[in-house]
This record gives sequence, C-alpha cells and structure tokens, in this order.
Amino acid sequence: MNHPMSQPTEVETGRHERIMAEAERIEALGEASESIAPYPVNQATIGTWLDAMGYDNQRFRSGEAPPSMAQVWTMPGLGRKRPPEDPLSRMTEVLTGEGYTAVLGTNCEQTYERYLRVGEQPRVTSALDSVVGPKRTAMGEGYFVTSRNTWYVDHPDGSSEVVATMLFRVLKFIPKEAHGG
Amino acid sequence: MTAPVLRAGDALPEWSLPLTPTTIVSTAIATRDWQDVHHDRDVAQAAGSKDIFMNILTSNGLVERYVVDSLGPDTELRGIAIRLGAPAYPYDTLTFRGEVTGVEDGVATIAIVGSVSLGDHVTGTVRVVAP
Repeated sequence: MNHPMSQPTEVETGRHERIMAEAERIEALGEASESIAPYPVNQATIGTWLDAMGYDNQRFRSGEAPPSMAQVWTMPGLGRKRPPEDPLSRMTEVLTGEGYTAVLGTNCEQTYERYLRVGEQPRVTSALDSVVGPKRTAMGEGYFVTSRNTWYVDHPDGSSEVVATMLFRVLKFIPKEAHGG
Repeated sequence: MTAPVLRAGDALPEWSLPLTPTTIVSTAIATRDWQDVHHDRDVAQAAGSKDIFMNILTSNGLVERYVVDSLGPDTELRGIAIRLGAPAYPYDTLTFRGEVTGVEDGVATIAIVGSVSLGDHVTGTVRVVAP
C-alpha cells in the first residue's frame, strides 16, 4: 500500500474478499476467451492506418503489417462485442458491481514475435493476469486489473504460432467526486 | 540506407505532431476502435472529458512510427511497453523524445516520452533488434 489507510471496516473487508475470490476464480480459467480477426490482414486496412498515422514505410506497402497493428486485427469492430466470457470484461463487471465504476487504461506492454503478413487471419485469446488493490491513486481508490492477450496464427498442419502478446492494465476506481470531494 | 550503430546515451531526434480533430478521429477509426469518446465530442464531454481524446492503439502506433522513422525503415521492433498519462486532445501538440538506454544480446532498448501541454501522455520503452 502506497499510503497509510485507516483500518478497513467489515463491509470493506467483505468487499475486498469478494473481489479477490472472483479474481482468483477468473485467473484460474486461463485463456478463457478467444476471438478471431473479423477480416484477414489486408493491404487496404494497413494503408489506411499508415495514412492516418502520417507514416510511410515501403515495407508496409509490400505485404508486411506494422507490428503495433497486431491488436487492430482482432478489435471487434462497430456493433460487434467481445465474447461474454472475456476475462477482463468479467473482472471489470465485478468491480463495477462493487462500486468501482470508472475505468482508465494505465499500461500496455506488447511483444512481437514476428510481423503479420497480408492474408493471415490471427486469433487472440484473453486471460486475467492479476488483480491488485485496493490502492489510493490520484484518480481515487481502485484496483489494477491486468489482462494477458496472446495472438496466434494457425497453420494448415494444425500447429499454432504465437505472433504477439500484450499485458494490458486498467485502473477500476471510485471517482473522487463519488466521495463528495 | 545503413542503420546507425546504437549506443547507450544516443538521443533520437525530437518529433512534434500537431493534433487536430481529424488526427484523433482518423487514427481511432484506422485502428478499428469505435469507442465514442474518440470521435464524438458531445459524448466525451458528457463523460467529463474536455474533448475527444487519442486512443491507446494510436499512442502505440505513433510510438512505433517515431522509433522507426528515427532509426531507419528496416528497424525491427520486438516490443513496445508504455504507461499512459495525460490525455492527448485536439489542438494540443504531441512531442516525442527518445534515448537509447542499453544494448544487450542484440536488442537495443529505447526510452521514449510523448508529452502534451498537460504533461506526459505516454512514457515507456521500445525494444528493437540492434543493427
């Protein structure tokens, strides 16, 4: 704990125990949800991304995809939703239900095993990595929830290749206004 | 183009990107992120934000662009690890600075900061294959 806190009340202790029990349960499910890219890696989407970023690089006009686009391919898209069993969604719902209603992305750590190529159709799995809290932060009291995504490309011989990973952390918090100042 | 040898302490050239509503909206859509706070000012303001603001996939994309444009087009990225701070709003300027902090086992680590008028929007490290 970064800051001294007064002794938690029984209500607060009960809440914390419920949150951590759910965290443990969801963590134990491992890579509990999976979604496939709705569209394969394609030159038009790469070109539009390069244009928007104001970025030009011949290698990404010739069949390779920029590595930081890994997550782009498996974004659900307008009007589509993540699978209901998505562990990060499940955990954030638990915290919302316990009063930690606000959310803020705090950290994103991506690793690239190799660059994707036009025509590949990656899938991503999602797992709950850790839940840490309650912490007093500048935003208010909250829990840090870290999810772990793994992007795979499946091959015709039945093998699956990890192409990228991501640890993504959000702060689920009680906005300070909710405390009356 | 021959990529330069990277050594700890080498600074990357500073790069500033003026942000417009078009920057924020076009990059959000190009990253297939349809969250309304990245393209609808009324919704963003109703949620307590000053304006629409840059999405995280774009912060990542601009970090990639900054490092590759600085080090050469064939720069091979191994990872981007960022911490998110102040929001990046339209009509602000996002300025990137970077420095090589070490080279180990053929991988160079670059520390980067992207700052806006409110403070650091993004801080972190990028790992690249050392040329």
